[in-house]
Amino acid sequence: MKTRVIRAALAAVGLGFGLWGLWLLLGAVEPPALIRLPLWLGGAVLADDFFLVPLTVTTGWLVTRWSAGPDRHRTIGAVRTTFLYVGLTTLIAIPLLLRQGKSANPTVLPRDYLRDWLLLEATIVVTGAVVFLLQRSRFTFSRSRASSGDIGGR
Amino acid sequence: MKLPAPPTEKSFPSPLHHPRVATVIGRWLGLAVTICFLTGLFSHFQQDTPTWLHIPSRPSSLYRVTQGLHVLSGTVAVPLLLAKLWTVYPKLFAKPPWPPSRQAVTTILERLSILVLVSALALELFIGFLNTLQWYPWPFPFKETHYALAWIIIGALLVHLAVKLPLIVEHWRRTPEPVAESLPPAITGLSRRGLFRTVAGAAALVGITSVGQSVPALGPLAVLAPRKPNIGPQGLPVNRTAHDAGVTGIGPDWRFTVKGPQELSYTLEALRQLPQSRSELPIACVEGWSQGGRWEGIRVRDLLRLCGAPEGSRVRVVSMEKGGFYATSELPPEFADDPLTLLALRLNGDELALDHGYPARIIAPNRPGVLQTKWVHRLEVLS
Repeated sequence: MKTRVIRAALAAVGLGFGLWGLWLLLGAVEPPALIRLPLWLGGAVLADDFFLVPLTVTTGWLVTRWSAGPDRHRTIGAVRTTFLYVGLTTLIAIPLLLRQGKSANPTVLPRDYLRDWLLLEATIVVTGAVVFLLQRSRFTFSRSRASSGDIGGR
Repeated sequence: MKLPAPPTEKSFPSPLHHPRVATVIGRWLGLAVTICFLTGLFSHFQQDTPTWLHIPSRPSSLYRVTQGLHVLSGTVAVPLLLAKLWTVYPKLFAKPPWPPSRQAVTTILERLSILVLVSALALELFIGFLNTLQWYPWPFPFKETHYALAWIIIGALLVHLAVKLPLIVEHWRRTPEPVAESLPPAITGLSRRGLFRTVAGAAALVGITSVGQSVPALGPLAVLAPRKPNIGPQGLPVNRTAHDAGVTGIGPDWRFTVKGPQELSYTLEALRQLPQSRSELPIACVEGWSQGGRWEGIRVRDLLRLCGAPEGSRVRVVSMEKGGFYATSELPPEFADDPLTLLALRLNGDELALDHGYPARIIAPNRPGVLQTKWVHRLEVLS
């Protein structure tokens, strides 16, 4: 009963806020722009649901398939995380790279974003590789202990 | 040839597409969105203050913190939103309810609310980030759309919470992870804890590589931020240059005037002869970057006293800027009276650079950069 009241209240307040936002939108944006806004909203959903997420799902699937090989299950974490972080930081860097040199004034986008992006990706990949090597050596170590356990641990 | 069947909810074998995972990542995303919304609301009210609201002039760096948080939480929300969408992705392929029933109508309404939430939030984060680059490739006005979408997002989020409340309550605390049946995916697949660490790491990575635009000490690391706080004339970035504002400098007949009970008029030299004060105040921009500066100039409250303005006067600041929404600004009484508020003539030991508002600009505590009017040539006492 209590949950029902809370849910109804949340929904009512949410609906109110949403309608208020819609009202603001209708008041502030001219009709020609207002007509094109849903295209942008739809585009945002398409970009997420039919590009970015399928890309992660597919990459995840490929990486998991790769990991079925011998000795790979200890290092899969480093590989997966490296892919993910490279992808994510690149996604955020894309607008910066596209607008480099076209900014409103020299204090906007003042860096060499191509160089910095390459440095960032290199850092992520090198860190990933270090973790990969560490995990692999730890694996070898624990496997040797495990195998010694097989013969009685002595 | 037979086409492959479209995926269904069951096509995604990872046990991480689970309500517990959605609940945890949803909490993080919800926190980021809430911080972003509240700080955004504060910024909106700073620029468009409703009559019932009183904004104090202290703490002087409040806006610097809130707006830095606004952009930071929005940027960090990008990986969180992607992780959340990934977790619930199989739901996209859930069978539409059929045949029509009351339950079916509820399901359709729920899905519509999610469509509103996802589309508005994704677009909001996208246009917000591009705004920090001052890039506007869309056909609608940024500020108004960004503000209206924020309310739509919060509304849709509350509706979403209302719909999912039983599921959220059920999975609020840790639940046992399902034990996988086959070995390789069980070992190689990510555990929940592993996923949470990875997502938190992604959010931290994005945060660390962008927060430096608001925290100068981390500036060198801010490789994903469109600003570096110490780059610009006199070590301070610029949003609107003198060229963009149509200001070319001043001639010998330039006068600064104060319109109050008495009318005052000064040459630049005369302004320099008035008692000068110092303020250490940041320029904190709506785009999230900020940088501190050492400002020198005349206290606005001293000028108001000189012209005989009554206590608690509101002041209109008029720029030489041609047109534009920010050619004038208003100082509410508390800001005009604050001893830190200056008609600044100097910055970091030198005369103001033209792009920073030469010959005179307003600098006040706890204010968005767009209201720190540059190229000021008149103050008008309003009440």
